[in-house]
Amino acid sequence: MIEENKENINPESKTTNRRNLLKYGFLTAGLTVAGIGLKKVFSEGNDPGETVKVLTPDGKVYETCSTQLKEYRPGPVTNAEARKGIPNKKFVMVIDLAKCDGCKKCTEACQAMHYTEPDREWIKVFKMHEAEATAPFYFPKPCFHCDNPPCTKVCPVNATFKREDGIVLIDNERCIGCRMCMAACPYSTRFFNWSAPDEKQTAQLGNAAYSPEQSVPRKIGTVEKCDFCPDMIRQGKMPACVSGCPMNVIYFGDQNEDAVTNASGVTVKLSQLLEDNAGYRHLEELGTEPRVYYLPPKNRKYPTPNVNAPGGRENKKPTELNMGDMHM
Amino acid sequence: MANQKYNLKEEIEQVREDCLRPTRKWGRSTQIWIGSLLMVMAWGLYCYIHQLRNGLGVTAMRNYVSWGLYISTFVFFIGISHSGTLVSAILRITKQEWRRPITRSAELLTFVSLLFGGIMPIIDLGRPDRIANLVIFGRVQSPLLWDVISILTYFTGSTVFLFLPMIPDMALCRDRLKVCETKFDKFRKWLYTKMALGWQGTKTQWHRLELTMTIMTIVIIPVAVSVHTVVSYIFAMTLRPGWNSTVFGPYFVAGALYSGSAGVILGMVAFRKLYSLEKYITPRHFDLMGRIVLALTMIYAYLNLNEYWIPAYKMATAEGHLLNDLFSGSYSIAFWTCQFGTVLIPIIVLAIPAGRKLIPITITCIIIVLGAWVKRYLIVVPTLLHPFMPIQEVPGSWSTYFPNYVEFSVTAACLAGIFLVITLFAKMFPMMAVWEVEEGIQIEYDKQAAIELREQRETEEAKNILGNAGTANEPIIQQA
Amino acid sequence: MKMKSIINKITLSIIFTSLICVISTAQDKSEVKSKRETAIEMSYNKKADKSKIAVALVTAKNEAGKFIPANNVQVNFYAKHNNDEQLIKSANTNNKGEANILLPKDLPLNDSMYFNIIAKIENNNQFENAQEQMHFKEANLSFSLDSKDTNRMVIAKVTEMSKDGKEIPVKGVELKFYVCRLFGTMPASEDNNITTDDKGEASFAYPKNIPGSTEGVITLVAKIENNEKFGSIENKVAEPWGTVLAIEKEPFPRALWEPTAPFPLVITISSLFGGVWLVYFFLFYQLKKIKEETKIKTVKN
Ligand code: SF4
Ligand code: SF4
Ligand code: SF4
Repeated sequence: MIEENKENINPESKTTNRRNLLKYGFLTAGLTVAGIGLKKVFSEGNDPGETVKVLTPDGKVYETCSTQLKEYRPGPVTNAEARKGIPNKKFVMVIDLAKCDGCKKCTEACQAMHYTEPDREWIKVFKMHEAEATAPFYFPKPCFHCDNPPCTKVCPVNATFKREDGIVLIDNERCIGCRMCMAACPYSTRFFNWSAPDEKQTAQLGNAAYSPEQSVPRKIGTVEKCDFCPDMIRQGKMPACVSGCPMNVIYFGDQNEDAVTNASGVTVKLSQLLEDNAGYRHLEELGTEPRVYYLPPKNRKYPTPNVNAPGGRENKKPTELNMGDMHM
Repeated sequence: MANQKYNLKEEIEQVREDCLRPTRKWGRSTQIWIGSLLMVMAWGLYCYIHQLRNGLGVTAMRNYVSWGLYISTFVFFIGISHSGTLVSAILRITKQEWRRPITRSAELLTFVSLLFGGIMPIIDLGRPDRIANLVIFGRVQSPLLWDVISILTYFTGSTVFLFLPMIPDMALCRDRLKVCETKFDKFRKWLYTKMALGWQGTKTQWHRLELTMTIMTIVIIPVAVSVHTVVSYIFAMTLRPGWNSTVFGPYFVAGALYSGSAGVILGMVAFRKLYSLEKYITPRHFDLMGRIVLALTMIYAYLNLNEYWIPAYKMATAEGHLLNDLFSGSYSIAFWTCQFGTVLIPIIVLAIPAGRKLIPITITCIIIVLGAWVKRYLIVVPTLLHPFMPIQEVPGSWSTYFPNYVEFSVTAACLAGIFLVITLFAKMFPMMAVWEVEEGIQIEYDKQAAIELREQRETEEAKNILGNAGTANEPIIQQA
Repeated sequence: MKMKSIINKITLSIIFTSLICVISTAQDKSEVKSKRETAIEMSYNKKADKSKIAVALVTAKNEAGKFIPANNVQVNFYAKHNNDEQLIKSANTNNKGEANILLPKDLPLNDSMYFNIIAKIENNNQFENAQEQMHFKEANLSFSLDSKDTNRMVIAKVTEMSKDGKEIPVKGVELKFYVCRLFGTMPASEDNNITTDDKGEASFAYPKNIPGSTEGVITLVAKIENNEKFGSIENKVAEPWGTVLAIEKEPFPRALWEPTAPFPLVITISSLFGGVWLVYFFLFYQLKKIKEETKIKTVKN
């Protein structure tokens, strides 16, 4: 049965993949669950859905049906696995400022996925206006998952850590809430759980198991930030903000593969994309070596942000979000 | 000469009496004072429990200003704690005779402010229940861990440093407390006996004490410098405009020394008045301490210049916004008041001899201490409000900061705690190092004797007096 | 006079407003009753595992008059043969507006080897009835690889079935080559549009330096995209042609941002503070000595 499942999951490249399977002889819980799902699907009749990929904990890709994926609900990975990351991957994001129209759909998608309160924008769309004469533009900013991460350096208890695949995560079960990392991150990326998460959230999540990869259920007195959605990646899906962007602004992929993909599934060569569009990293001079690249906002086809709005490095006056008496 | 010897004994007796008198009675005013301190602390404790239960959200801190009054106060208290090292260790090393009456209060100030300074960051933690993680998972790369290590080291050191010169005094207290009727007296007797470590003033004991004192005096100075340096590193190790500065270490150390020694002067004023120690803490002491504070203020002013003028000349983008806000923006009043109050005024006042008299020096020191506190706040908060990314579309409470009642109450409780510990200490133990003062008197006598000796060439008598010098405690022990 | 005119005006306005009300409510009602206008687009994909999938993209008019994807709409798929429609299966659209089904292997074919599929929205109480059909011919896309020389060539062949069960090469079919990446397929090179020749073959010079897995394995994909006759067909093959990804020897080196600190830092800190603590212990020892010395004395006394 198990053998059969494997073949069903990747029939197209049977020979090579099967060889690998036999060679490494691994069988992950995920695949077993997928197998059970598969069985169910077949008993119900043939419904192919789309072919999607599943990333096993050791970084192998498997193709399977989306319908099976619904059954394939990976329980949170262990803390040790979450700290290690997915081997042989280096995740990168590219944000094309020329296409961003400031609709904030990425923020919404991220907030929906992580049950965040509206004021906590793990990916925040700034209105940038760097100098009087320059054109204003929109600037979505997630966590940069820096390769020389100031936040991780200063964490006294290794609650913030950098994984093998480049992702910087937070272990909310270890964080002591000193907020040293918030002071150290130059991009104001981190948020603190000043109070207990609101009831709606708790109700939605219940006593779901916690893993640093999911960042939920959130814990009072600890920090949180964009996590590059490693739980989605493990399911072979792109982060919520990437697939949530209607303008195809955000690309996501593996630098080792030299490829990034956007919401509409267009996969391009990362090095080519950066070269053709003069990609850059934000505040490169700080030396944090972000894993997020930007393409400059040239030839924009959307209305530019309100110039009078304070923004950019001008930073004259903070603008406020009118949210009534919202709690943090 | 016999006459003189008699005087010496009498004077020593007088010193002992003056030092131990306050430990005997707890007046009405002391009780009221302690009672009100306890009330402040109880309210602070209530607020802290409120904070523990509902999270740090009950403070005014939010995502941009993620450190506020607590951390500013932490830096300030640690700064004050430098007083002990300076006055005590540096003056000991340089063999300044006039240090003798003030070392104990300086060391006590170090001990207490360090105790409460160390508590501040724990109060500031989001998860104080996980404090053990610092030991279990501690990462030596984190400036915060450096803080933990060096503050613990300094705390241990300053406790030892406070305790060492207390040993002979404890023996004295132990021996003087003969009648133990009340339970409290019995407790005190027990405490003194324990703390005296069986001190009998033998030659070897004195030798060991002097050895340990000398080592401690030398070791405590670099430890103290390290503490304030790494405290500055929790800011300077970040990339934030205003903190990203190579001068932060010395700047913090200088600021600490100068506010700390101002704190010592205030302590001197208080004990002198309360315990009628006018005979020991003389105008000369204020004059000399005034000079020290003057010198330190100048060093501090020099580092201040470096800290602000260099970036202000360049006005790099992000740093420029911060400096604009400090120089002419929303923090300008606080900033300039603080700079003028804590730098210009002390320099002017303390430079003239009349300014080093009791009243003006007290006022100046109050200004310095309060100003130093405000300065810490001005180092911590405005930087957090000027991040690299603009502050846009956030709830109003995120983009401003002023500590709220919880933070004020808890901080006030810590301050009250400092006063309480000092008060209790002063009521239990002599606030001057009795034997040190005695030693000073002895040295004075010896000097005089030597002069007389030379004049009268009476060698035999001189030998007698010198023989006494090594065993100042002996007559008392015999009495007991 | 005045009074009258005022009354007149009032009655007039009352009539007018009530009329407006009636009209608007009537409009409301008609809106409630009316179903959304719907459109279907169909496409046909043959996957690498030879499974054949029919996709119907359903869009419906919104208030602004734009057609947007409609989700959770039931679509019925029929196979048509000689004016005889037979229901294959129904499927609901997903949130992209797509409903897809797996087609059975034995689809009825007409004389020229075409099959005919119809997608219908029927008796839906929110959406208007709509239908769309497609006819495609079945084709085969096969691969062969040629790496004799240093130049690696990928050759794909397109054939169709003749009535008597023979494979006939198809000329003039546009092909594209891709490589599989984590989240999608990436064009193997910039100009990878290739058309089949008389033999039904299209060859493609495989570019160098495409990063593969740690074993250098790459999955190559050839696709026929939205061909008029054949729909979309893809086939893939995995081959160790990519550059080998070097496994990171030390994914967690000693560094400031890693759990383990660099040696110089550890040594500096431990020697500095260790030294101080050694001195402390010496002092504690001395204090202990001070205490011990008393005891000796008391014993003597
Ligand atoms: S952007 Fe900030 S939080 Fe994210 S890795 Fe870099 S320093 Fe850390
Ligand atoms: S707040 Fe938590 S994650 Fe941040 S530095 Fe402190 S312990 Fe580490
Ligand atoms: S990568 Fe994930 S966590 Fe980060 S902003 Fe996007 S959706 Fe949010």
